[in-house]
Order: sequence, then structure tokens, then C-alpha cells
Amino acid sequence: MAQQLSDDELSAALAGDPSGFSAVYAVISPAVLGYFRARGVDDAEALTQDVFVDVLPKLAGVSGGHTGLRTFIFSVAHARLVDYRRRAERTPRLAEYDPLNDARYSASAEDEVLGSLGGISDTLARLNEEQREVLVLRIVADLSIEQVAGIMDKTPGAIKQLQRRGLSALRELVTEKDHAAS
Amino acid sequence: MTGTREPQQDGSIQAMLSDSGLAAATELRSALEQLRAVVPDAAPAPRADLAALLAAGAVGPAPVLATTTALPTVASAKYAADESLPTRVASLAECRRRKRRLAIVGGAVVGAMTLGAGAVAASSEDFRHSVSETVDVIFQPAGPGTPAPEHVQPSTSPSSVPALPAPARTSGPGTPGAASTDEGTPNSSGTPGSTETGHTPPAVGRGGILPTPGKRPESPGLPGGGRNGDKDLPRVPGSIIPTLPGVVPTKAPGQP
Repeated sequence: MAQQLSDDELSAALAGDPSGFSAVYAVISPAVLGYFRARGVDDAEALTQDVFVDVLPKLAGVSGGHTGLRTFIFSVAHARLVDYRRRAERTPRLAEYDPLNDARYSASAEDEVLGSLGGISDTLARLNEEQREVLVLRIVADLSIEQVAGIMDKTPGAIKQLQRRGLSALRELVTEKDHAAS
Repeated sequence: MTGTREPQQDGSIQAMLSDSGLAAATELRSALEQLRAVVPDAAPAPRADLAALLAAGAVGPAPVLATTTALPTVASAKYAADESLPTRVASLAECRRRKRRLAIVGGAVVGAMTLGAGAVAASSEDFRHSVSETVDVIFQPAGPGTPAPEHVQPSTSPSSVPALPAPARTSGPGTPGAASTDEGTPNSSGTPGSTETGHTPPAVGRGGILPTPGKRPESPGLPGGGRNGDKDLPRVPGSIIPTLPGVVPTKAPGQP
């Protein structure tokens, strides 16, 4: 997220020139990976790479500069996530080893210090599906309301509403958790 | 990870919160920053196929990438192995080969089906019989054997032999008359065709088409007139044929 695409790299990538691909990948793939992780995908890295294998050869048709590129990539990522969810519904559930279910569990020091990733994704998991998607796209993918509306095929007003409800629900969950912890 | 976010991005979270009327909620804000921290700092190391895709245009092998996961060994080997462009060319060739393979498979399927049909034909006798019958049925009407006798039989009967030349000649003069009027009136481009058809020479003029009309005037005498005067000639055979038998028997005994 720290780097930005230079204009040369962007124009090369949008012209379908492979020389811009690695720059696009380096700049945007962390956000895509974060998006999949935040949505609780098992193998987020594989899905991220699927997205880029899919997207990079098609960059020539993308218009709209930086925002257009980001919107395009995240719309593909969103579609991949939907596919993943549908596939996951049909395939037998793989029971991952969950340390929290382990009777011998003791709190990890790193988790306590850093504030674990598991914490926030657990909280997110208690939100409504659409609210979660809006929040993750807005915060992790760093997209505007209009971009999110385009990706989720809704009006900007609907996205704003979802965002507001999602944030207030999240706030309740967070304060509840804080009270429980203290 | 969490502490090193740019103020601009914190600003976007802040803007989002104030947009939703929750600007004062600090716990929520920290939760959102936590969520944002999910984004890793560096890109994941690309898989083999993705690495090939990236290396296709990379001037130098993007050094930023390899940071996480167990893939780096594979990825670096991939970087060393391919010069990227060869892989693209290879994929195109494979595409072409696939097309050719499709054509070959199609040809093989068609060949196998014809072979199978041939085997069935060879093995079953009924099939051969029915095929030969159908072939006979198809080629019979094309041969001149059956239609010719039909024309000959009426002409061979003694009463009709004298009868036919007479109407043919009566109609003959009738048509040239119409044809001659045609010759007089039309001067446009259609004249050569019409004049030739009107006279007896037409048989010579239109080689390909006229052989059959050339035969017909001999037997019934109708078609020759049927071409030019549609209304006049149908009456002529109707009126002539009943009258002629009356005339003919008198002539027929006289002639021999």
C-alpha cells in the first residue's frame, strides 16, 4: 500500500504492455491478499494469484486510470470470492485445526500484544454478509463508495446505508467485546 | 504494522466514520485500523504461472516480490529457467497445435463412422438389397426406357398416325402466323428470341432447350402452339381431335 503506481507503469500496464505487470502486481496484490484474508478465505494467496493470472492479460481493455485499474482488479477479486464461497458450500468442509478449540490452549503472547488478526475477523464474521463485504472493500481494498457500488452492483446510496449499518453493528460488537474483556 | 499507516489512510477511515456519523467512536476506529492491518506490506511471491506472466515484461526480475510463504525456491528457479518470451511463444504454438488436433480428431471420427457404416452394409444382406432397390428407384426415371414407349404407342396406332400430322400442320401454320405478327410489332431487344421460337428453325437456334419441344409437336401438336398462343391453341386440339377421327378414317382407307 505504501507504493503507488507511477504514471509510466500505469500507462504501460493499461496499454497491455507486460512491462507494467510486475509493478501492478507489487502495488495491488497486497490489498487483494488482505481482502481475501479479511474475508476468511482458506488459501488467500492462491486466490490472489488466480486473480492476477486472470487479470493481467486483460489490462489492455481497462480505462479510468488508477481508480479504474483498482476497481477492475477488485471486481474480479469479488467475483472470485463469490465463486469460492459457492464452491465451498458444495465441497465437504475441511476441519482445520483450531487452537481455540484445543483444550490445552493458552493465550498467545503475540496475539495479546499485537491485537490478533483473529480477533477482528471473528468480529467481522458476526456481521451481515453484505455489510462485511462493504466494510472490507472500503477499508482493506481502499475503494470509494462509488467503486464499491460498481463492484457489488448496487447504488451508492445502498452502499452508504450498508456501510453505516455495518459500522454501527461493528461498534456494538467491539464495545461489547471490550466490556467482556475488562 | 498498525502504527505505521499514512495519515492519508487514517484520514480515509476518519472520513468514513464521520460520513456515517460515528466520528467519536474511538474503539471502532481502532478496530478498523486493525482491519486495515490485514493488508500485508509486500506482495506474495508469485506462483510459477503468474511468475511467467510477470517475467514476460519485467526488465529486471521484480525484487520487491519474494517475501512470504514457501514458494520462493520454485519462483526463483522459474525466473532463472525461462526468459519469459519463449513461454509466450510456446503457448501460441500450443494453441495452434490444439486447433490442428481438433481437425485431425474430427477427420478420424468421420472416417470411423464411414467404416462402421460400410461394415454394416457388408454384413447384412437386407441392407444391400434395400440399397440396390433404392439405387434402382433413383436411376429408373432418368433412363429413356419408360417414357419413350408411352409416346410411341399412341403414335403407332393406325388411326392416330394420319391424325397427328394433320393437326401438327394445322397448328404449324397457326403459330408462324402469330410469330410473324410478333416479328412485325416488337423492335426491342427481345425480338431475336421470339422470332426464332416462332418459326420452325427454333430447333436449330436454341440447341440446348429445344430438343424436347422439337419432339412434342410431332406427337400431340399442342406444345408447339402452347408456347406462343396460349388461348387459341387449347381450343384447337379440343375441336380438332373429335373432328379429325371423322375425317381420318375416310382418308386412311384412301391412302393405303
